[in-house]
Formats: sequence, C-alpha cells, structure tokens
Amino acid sequence: MKGWTGRILRIDLTTKSFKTESFSEEFAHTWIGGRGFAAKILYDELAPGIDPLGPENKFIVALGPIAGIPAPNTGKAVVAAKSPSTGGYGDGNLGTKVAVQLRKAGYDALIVEGKADRPTMLVIEDDQVSFQPADAVWGQGTYETNNWIYATHGTGVGVLNIGQGGENLVRYAVVRSLEGRAGGRTGMGAVMGSKLLKAVVVRGTKPIPLADPEGMKEVGLGDLAEVHRIDKESGWSIQSTNAVLGWCNEVAALPVRNFRKTHHPDAWRVDGERLSDARVALYGCPNCTMHCGIAMHDDEGRMAELDYENVALLGPNLEIFDLAQVASLNYLCDDYGLDTMSSGCTLSFYADAIDHGATSGDFAFGDASGAKMLLGMIARREGIGDLLADGALQAARTFGHGSEAYAMQVKGLEMPAYNCKFIPGMALALGVSPIGAHHKEAWIITFELKETLRDSYGPEKAQKVIDLQRIRGGLFECMVSCRFPWIENGWPLEHYPVYFNLSTGLDWTLDDFWTVSDRIYALMKLFWLREHPQTDRTADYPPAVWFDPANVDTDGPIAGRHLEYDKYDGLLQDYYDIRGYDERGIPTRDTLTRLGLAAEATAAAEFGLLT
Amino acid sequence: MKITVKLIGSFIESAGFSEKEFDVPAGATIDGLVALLAIDRTRPMIVTRNGRAMADGDAVVPGDRVAISPIYSGG
Repeated sequence: MKGWTGRILRIDLTTKSFKTESFSEEFAHTWIGGRGFAAKILYDELAPGIDPLGPENKFIVALGPIAGIPAPNTGKAVVAAKSPSTGGYGDGNLGTKVAVQLRKAGYDALIVEGKADRPTMLVIEDDQVSFQPADAVWGQGTYETNNWIYATHGTGVGVLNIGQGGENLVRYAVVRSLEGRAGGRTGMGAVMGSKLLKAVVVRGTKPIPLADPEGMKEVGLGDLAEVHRIDKESGWSIQSTNAVLGWCNEVAALPVRNFRKTHHPDAWRVDGERLSDARVALYGCPNCTMHCGIAMHDDEGRMAELDYENVALLGPNLEIFDLAQVASLNYLCDDYGLDTMSSGCTLSFYADAIDHGATSGDFAFGDASGAKMLLGMIARREGIGDLLADGALQAARTFGHGSEAYAMQVKGLEMPAYNCKFIPGMALALGVSPIGAHHKEAWIITFELKETLRDSYGPEKAQKVIDLQRIRGGLFECMVSCRFPWIENGWPLEHYPVYFNLSTGLDWTLDDFWTVSDRIYALMKLFWLREHPQTDRTADYPPAVWFDPANVDTDGPIAGRHLEYDKYDGLLQDYYDIRGYDERGIPTRDTLTRLGLAAEATAAAEFGLLT
Repeated sequence: MKITVKLIGSFIESAGFSEKEFDVPAGATIDGLVALLAIDRTRPMIVTRNGRAMADGDAVVPGDRVAISPIYSGG
C-alpha cells in the first residue's frame, strides 16, 4: 500500500502499553484518512452512552494520505473523540508538526485509550513509546508547556498539548500546537485532560511511503512556490482572515452584543486593517506558504496570534473595540487552552443573561477586565466559571427564564462569528453541521448574497451547503489539508486529486471524494442518533433568537428582518431530501446502503428507528 | 453625485485607501466604479450596497455606500 503507512498506533494509558495495528487497503479507500478514519474508528469502538470525559472515550489523532509531504498546506492533523460539548462525534483540525512527524514515525493515526495514573506526556519516537511524567507542567499554560517540551526534546518535534482548561475539563478546551495553533473546539482538550494526558510529543525518521516520490516532489514543491507567488500577488496574508470582519460589518453579519446586533460603528477599530497595522509577526502551519496567523502585542506586551473568529467573538460580540484588549483575551484563551469562539459566545451569553435578568452578576458587555477574570475562573472552574466551563447551553439551562433562546449554539457547540439573523442559507449550514455550530463544514454567505436573493429559502441554498460540506468537511478534512488556498487564493480543487494520486498510485477524481464525504456525514449522523435516540429535526435548528421579531435590527441593511420558522423548516427539508435523510434528519436505510453502510444500518436499527 | 466606497482586505492596498467619498456622474455603474478604482477585475470579488450584492451593470444612486471585497471562505 502506498500513500498510507497502513499502521495505527494504539496506546493504553491505564496499562502503559502500546501496540501497532495494520489496516487494509479497503479501509483506506473507504475512509481516506483524517476525519474519515476517526469517525469510523470511534463509531466502531465506542460503546453507546459512554461518558466523553471518562476513560472509555478514545482520543484520536488522524492524518491524511498527503499529510506531511511537501505540497500546499499539508501540515495539519485531525483530533477527534466523542465530544463533551455535544455528546456526538467531535473533531477539529490544527496545524502541527505532528502531521509530519507521526507520518515519519510510520503511522497514519494514533488512538489513545484509558487514563493515566498521573499527569503524563506521551513520547513517540518511531517504534518506541514512552510514558513520561508531566507533573512539572500540570497546572501550567500551553506556552510554558510548549517551552518545557522544546527545552527537553528540541524544537523539531511535533507537539500537542493542553492548558489548564483541558486539565479542568472545560467542555470547549482545545488542543494546542506550535504556540499559535489550536484545534478541536468540540472539547478535544478536555478529553486529553480527562486522561491526564498533558502532551503528545512525536519524532519520526522514516520515509513516508509514496507511490511516485519524484513526481510528488516536483509537483508539490512547484505548487508550494506557486501558492506563495499567488498570495504575494493577491495580498491575502496582509490582513489574513480578519479582512472578513470589515466585510461582515458591511453586510450585517457581524456578531455584536451576543449576536443581538449585526453591525457596529466602532467595528473598524478591530478590523483587518488595524490588525495588519499592529502586526509584529506572521505565523503559519508546516508546509504552508500563505501564512494566516497575524501576531501583535497585547495590552501587557505579550505576543498574541489573532484571526477573524477570535477577534469578532472576543471583540464586537462582547462590545470590546480595543484591539490590544481583544489580543489579551485571545492570549489568555490560547494559554489556558480554551476555544476562543466558545469562550467568546459563553461570555457574551453570560452578559446577556445578566442584562435580561435571567441571572445576577457584575459582568457586562464592554468589560474587558471582567472578561479576563472570567476566563481564568472558567479555566480553573472557580465560582461562576465552573458553570460557564460547561458552555452557553448548560448555563442557559441552569439560569432558565427563557435564556436558552439566546444561548448562541447548535447541538451544544457555540457559534462561529457569523450572525445569521437574516442569512437563511448560512443559518442552515450552521444548523446541519454534524459536530455542532462550526463554519468549517460549509460557509455560503458570499454565494448566498451574490448568487441568490438574500431573502430566499430555495433548494439551491441547501444544495450549496451540501456541495461545500463535501469539499470542506469531506475532501479537506480527510486529506487533512487547509482550505485557504482554494478560495482565498483561487487554487483549483483539481490539484488535490493530483496530490492524492501521486501519493497513493490511485486514479481518483473529485467525484470519488464526494462519495466518501457523503459516507462520513451519514456515519456522523448515525453516531448522533446512537447517542440521542430521541433526536428530531429541531437538533438542526439555529438559536430561537434569530427567528424572534423582537430581536430585529432597528437600523442598517437588514433592519426589521429575521429568519422565519416555516421557511427555514422547508429549507431544512430540502437539505434532508437531497441528502436522502428522513424527516428527523437521519439517513434512511436506502441511503446508508447506497453509501456502503448496510452493516451500520443493521446495527443502527438496534439503537434507533431507521426509515 | 456623491457616494461612499468602502474597500475590504487587499483591495485597500491596491487602491490606496480604505474608505472614501467619490463624486461620480449620474448613471455610473458598478463596472465603471471598479474601473475608476483600477481594481484588478480578474480577481473574484463581491460588491454590496446596503448588505445586498450588486451586479456589474447596476447603477449607483446618490448617498450609496458601496463595499467592494475579495471573495473569502470564512475565518
């Protein structure tokens, strides 16, 4: 087998043992890698109903068949487990040298089981695995932890680590790498913490098995240079993702004041232009030639790496328009190992709940000092931080008084930074995201505004969501490659089957990837059904506040407008019909059979009704 | 007639301003406006007015605020 190492490293923290397992070509071709491998392994190996923060859960690192090779933006890994945020399948991806080093160590995936008896750092060096004590950095942030690892193992190793947020089981704790990279906002850092797994360190020395190494080298290196040239020409990296902030403000899609408003006259103070002016460094992932991580000094002189989601949700969404203060909140989230998006949404919900009398407290919108203090309390689970560490939905259920309507989340995962008060198709994209509200699955706002009527709820929007899920949630999450070259710099999708075929020796087209993508989406839905047998279509609804006439903008581009329940429900049905799902949003038996999941369909019938 | 143009992202670098008021002739279109600003038409872009997309041939009207942005795929 070429393209894949054909090996998975399985580690048991309880017994401090490990073994190498092989997988078949059929498995590789059916699931490709990354999210595909992770979803299939977790679906097959996890018993229904396990505690996501218990030793029965499994923490997976999964790579794709182009991971680590010199081609555009291939330095990424998927981290996955049963999600403590949603109770369903959870994952995320992050830029990390683990993508290179784990492949060179001879593995396509890592499965971590059980629970250590003390804080532990896993060290993987080719065929050797050691379980090293991490007591020295337990209780420390991710920056200190990363430096401690580099001091011992050198800076060339691949590192995944967690901060206090993961240690204390904050349900939106992330996995961190390379000082500025984070992934797994579905609580993957908390899963590591639940296993007392502080860090994973990887070093490999073996060649990565490629079908055509010379061809791959020629194409890959050439394309890395070409993407770099295009980026310099386009200027995308000048503002990077935070250019989106100014645009969202113009088209009334910016989250302001817990998504109550969609634009703000002070938004320019934290936009891409201001971030670019404040830039002191630019960071990227391995094998990236169009870096996105703009770093600036925060109000205490610390270097913080910002992007759009972080700035919007820790800035305007909290009505904080001082970029140095936003950078400080960003730095704290990164150091504690908290997801910046969920942190921003949870804090904004708390301020909103106080504002609406659902609870009492002394935190308010615009209070940067209070937000910093609360982040620390969340990371340590102190006081109100203990509740907020469980996320906006759990906090709303505790506060009551109808506050669940404005807890900005889907399936328990907080919103990314797109205010869809009047963007029906993007609301659908967030609603049907199988891991909870996440923009990495589909992002259709530009299409929706440019190619359709903003007011419309036609099936073309449902089809576009599916098309983008196949590309973003399928192709890129299985190959485990960054999507930014594709739209931001116009790098054609057709390059990716070329990389895949040079790596594997196969002759795949994009259509082959769409089939696998549909299979994975169906399996993630089955995972959801198994954990939530009484689920219905309301699980795919966005927050009620977007439908509320009392919540409309009073000025600006969408004054007086809001989503409409019956029309959204029709759009949701279009999505189900195109996908071949039933009216609860579950794949039908025929759909599962068509996707090669007949055995899974039979098993699924034992824990939930299939139609 | 006076309109305001708001540029997004790297278009700011190429045009040399972020936000500016322009005096354009009556009947001016988006196509003409983009040409006036010397923005590279080969780059995918979206032009909006009041939160809604405009086509190349659409005319601007006095007081418009027109935002011209490269195409993004989110943050």
